[in-house]
Amino acid sequence: MTNKVPRSSRSALRRLLLVLGIVIGVVIYAYGWTATDISLDEVQDPVRQASVQRAMRELLSPDLFTRDRENRSFFVDFAIGCPDGDLPEGRTDTGDGAYVIFTPPCADSDEIITVEGFHFPADAIARIQLYREGQQNMPFRLVKSDAADAQASDESVFDLDSDGHFRVSVKVPRGRGLSGQTHQVEIQAAVPSGWPRLSATTETVIDKMIETIFLALMATTLALPVAVVLSFVAARNLMRQITLPLGNVLVGFVLLPVGGWLGYQALGPLGQLGVRWGKDVLPGLLGGAGALAGFALVSYALGRVTLAGSAQRVRSVALNALLVAVLVFILGVLGGLGIWLGGKLQTGLLADLGNFVGTLGTLVDLIIATLAAVGGAMWLSSLGASLVAGPMRHIFSPLSNVLGAVLGALSGAILLAMTALFGTQAVLLGLLTPVVAAALGGQLAVELYYLVPGARKPKRDRTDVDQMIHTLLYALGALLAFAITAYAIDLLRAIVDERPPSRAMIDLGLFEMRTYVAKSALIGGVLGGLAAGLAGTQVAFPLGMTVYNTSRTILNALRSIEPLIMGIVFVIWVGVGPFAGVLALTLHSIASLGKLYSEQVESIDAGPIEAIQSTGANRLQTIVYAVVPQIVPPYIAFTMYRWDINVRMSTIIGFVGGGGIGFLLQQQINLLRYNQAGVAVLAIAIVVSILDYASAAIRERIV
Amino acid sequence: MLKIEHLTKIYDSGVRALQDVSFEVPDGQFLVIIGLSGSGKSTLLRCINRLIEPTDGRIIWNNTDITDATDEELRQIRRKIGMIFQQFNLVRRAPVMTNVLAGRLGYTNPMWSLVNHFSAEDKRKALEKLNRVGIREKAYIRADQLSGGQQQRVGIARALMQEPELMLADEPVASLDPATSHSVMRYLELLNKEDGITILCSLHFLSLARTYADRIIALKDGRMEFDGLPQEIDDKRFKDIYGEDAVRVEIA
Repeated sequence: MTNKVPRSSRSALRRLLLVLGIVIGVVIYAYGWTATDISLDEVQDPVRQASVQRAMRELLSPDLFTRDRENRSFFVDFAIGCPDGDLPEGRTDTGDGAYVIFTPPCADSDEIITVEGFHFPADAIARIQLYREGQQNMPFRLVKSDAADAQASDESVFDLDSDGHFRVSVKVPRGRGLSGQTHQVEIQAAVPSGWPRLSATTETVIDKMIETIFLALMATTLALPVAVVLSFVAARNLMRQITLPLGNVLVGFVLLPVGGWLGYQALGPLGQLGVRWGKDVLPGLLGGAGALAGFALVSYALGRVTLAGSAQRVRSVALNALLVAVLVFILGVLGGLGIWLGGKLQTGLLADLGNFVGTLGTLVDLIIATLAAVGGAMWLSSLGASLVAGPMRHIFSPLSNVLGAVLGALSGAILLAMTALFGTQAVLLGLLTPVVAAALGGQLAVELYYLVPGARKPKRDRTDVDQMIHTLLYALGALLAFAITAYAIDLLRAIVDERPPSRAMIDLGLFEMRTYVAKSALIGGVLGGLAAGLAGTQVAFPLGMTVYNTSRTILNALRSIEPLIMGIVFVIWVGVGPFAGVLALTLHSIASLGKLYSEQVESIDAGPIEAIQSTGANRLQTIVYAVVPQIVPPYIAFTMYRWDINVRMSTIIGFVGGGGIGFLLQQQINLLRYNQAGVAVLAIAIVVSILDYASAAIRERIV
Repeated sequence: MLKIEHLTKIYDSGVRALQDVSFEVPDGQFLVIIGLSGSGKSTLLRCINRLIEPTDGRIIWNNTDITDATDEELRQIRRKIGMIFQQFNLVRRAPVMTNVLAGRLGYTNPMWSLVNHFSAEDKRKALEKLNRVGIREKAYIRADQLSGGQQQRVGIARALMQEPELMLADEPVASLDPATSHSVMRYLELLNKEDGITILCSLHFLSLARTYADRIIALKDGRMEFDGLPQEIDDKRFKDIYGEDAVRVEIA
């Protein structure tokens, strides 16, 4: 087609497009100019120029050092109200070799005179005041301009040069009974003495800088383990190969809450018992050692017996369960011991250590029941899925469809009930329920389409038309499911009126439940049951990619929220201070490191993975032997890099109350103390550049 | 006995890498698979231990259907199938010893292996295998400091740690120079003759295949083109397998 268009008109068209592009570009920038209030008037405003000059000057004159000063007083005579007859001499000696010349030699109150001093102590800071025995001294205030109507400022302190010379204009003080007398005028000079030392500001800044560096270190290290685990889950190359038959996945999913409940009920108290015993030290130590020894004995004794295939399987399952129980108990004991140790080490050199151990112990105490629940859920779920894997293979239609329907209904109900429970917390979270329902609905629509003979084809055989039908049907199903769910749970009311879902309860015979949750569960059950029933238990479910997409979405969402905003929330939770900053930066670092790490995992050489897998290694072994050795250097490099970023971020996280040097900087800026602010800015610049250099150097060495 | 029945692999991209391939390998045979790049040799070998999931067909080994095995059963089967690779696939940053010990992963207690703990027995065995392939003294050197031929011998030692009954060798000498190639092939021959390990080895060069193979299978565009004794490949068969333009290259 294009060949038929004459060459000249094609280039004309191109030129027209170019002109159009330029015009559009200009319009965009013109709007941007207005939108961002770019104004040269402000830039040229002399008042603003003066203030920015002052601010910059002070910022660049940081209050770094100070030194002690010793006050020395010099007395001269000065008459307020000139006496009749001879005027006094302009020059008056102090008796210490220094002298002062008043011009004019005498003056009335409020008159402006010039005072010039010679041979005073060099480099001193001085002020002039009227000395009155037994009464308060009255300062001669400085006049900073030579204009006739110049006003006295509030200041009375001025600097002397290195010859001990000064020349200032001051205002003669006014007071009852001053006039007509000769007074003693005290020139008080603060003379530097001793070595220069760090100013109070510098000391505070150093203090806060250390806090800042540790804030960044804490955030980085706390984020590290979570990010490492997440990075494997969010790596496409590791997750893509994980597909399981739908039936196994559903069994595992249904067992999740059961295992969680069992873990919470059975292992939770065991862990808490461990904590109690640990607090009493001796029972904890004995119990922990006993549990370990017991486990070793049992596993050794059981290991001696040779068993047939299935019995061997039961044995390893039982041993694993026992191991989990022993580990939970021992973790509890360790937590209890930590609390005990924290209580003992409250004073002295080890107080910090005591606080650390004690807090860790309390943390264990707080989360052990939850940990037990999570452990139980994972254990039972994977156990169930692997136990049914064998028998499930030999179930075919229609039984596989019936089984799929039952398991799908249960899973769908659990899934949507859980999102609904989560969704009751806030309006926007309520969106999750229809979104998850939409995912199920889309799948259901596709499964319905597969009822048409010949419609179910593997992905590789699909034509573009097939693909389009798939996408359209999926979208349609998803939209329908979204609409129905949104209507059922009254999402519109929630979003428009910002009201969380109603708290009405419904009696289900066995137990009561929020109507909102029950409705969601019902929808989930129907959608899930239908979709899985039509698909059957044998269909391959991309478990890995589901986990991958979910974790990537969460990581991306977290990364898009700036730590400053997270800081605001954490300040509300744990109060103003560095802890809030640590939490905010930790959360952001998890998201950011998680992504950086997972990209490293994605770029590793797949060869060793193949090799280790082919030896019969399991998934965890494959990760440890084939993946981990390849990613250690880049992980270290990225961790350093993140620490570097965190130091930079923690210098400003204080602006929202997150502790560190930013807090100090903001205070000083608000008080217009730019000299002091200058110290903080300087400190940030120095630390950031050092860390920048150090992290670059280390990264270069490792990679 | 390894039985491949109607094995077909179609990748998600639509590429038909294997089409209805069937053959049997009696125990103790040294079988060489030849064919051009992209003819499906690697896919075939990887389907046998299911590093690649076959699309269709069955693979039966010692009366077990590998294609039907669950994850757990598959791990048990893989333990007995050693594999070596064109690119050696060693963990380059780890010492030779760790690489060799990794061959025991299917047998060890998973918990202990996660902290890199192996039994004294396993360590003794690893040194013995390294000794067998002639690089006992390199045990504690990082794998990436060895030459190509040495790395491939580490690969063989790793596979030997599995005490395999079947060895899959995917172009084991394609990254090596001719002299080293022969030395590696001779180790494979030794394993075949002395230990009675069945070997399935894919090779580019017909000359190497002729020297070492008991039997040769040729693949072309995913189909079986030839199955027979090395000496049966004459010029006509050669052109069928490698195409009209191919010229025989001898490797000394």
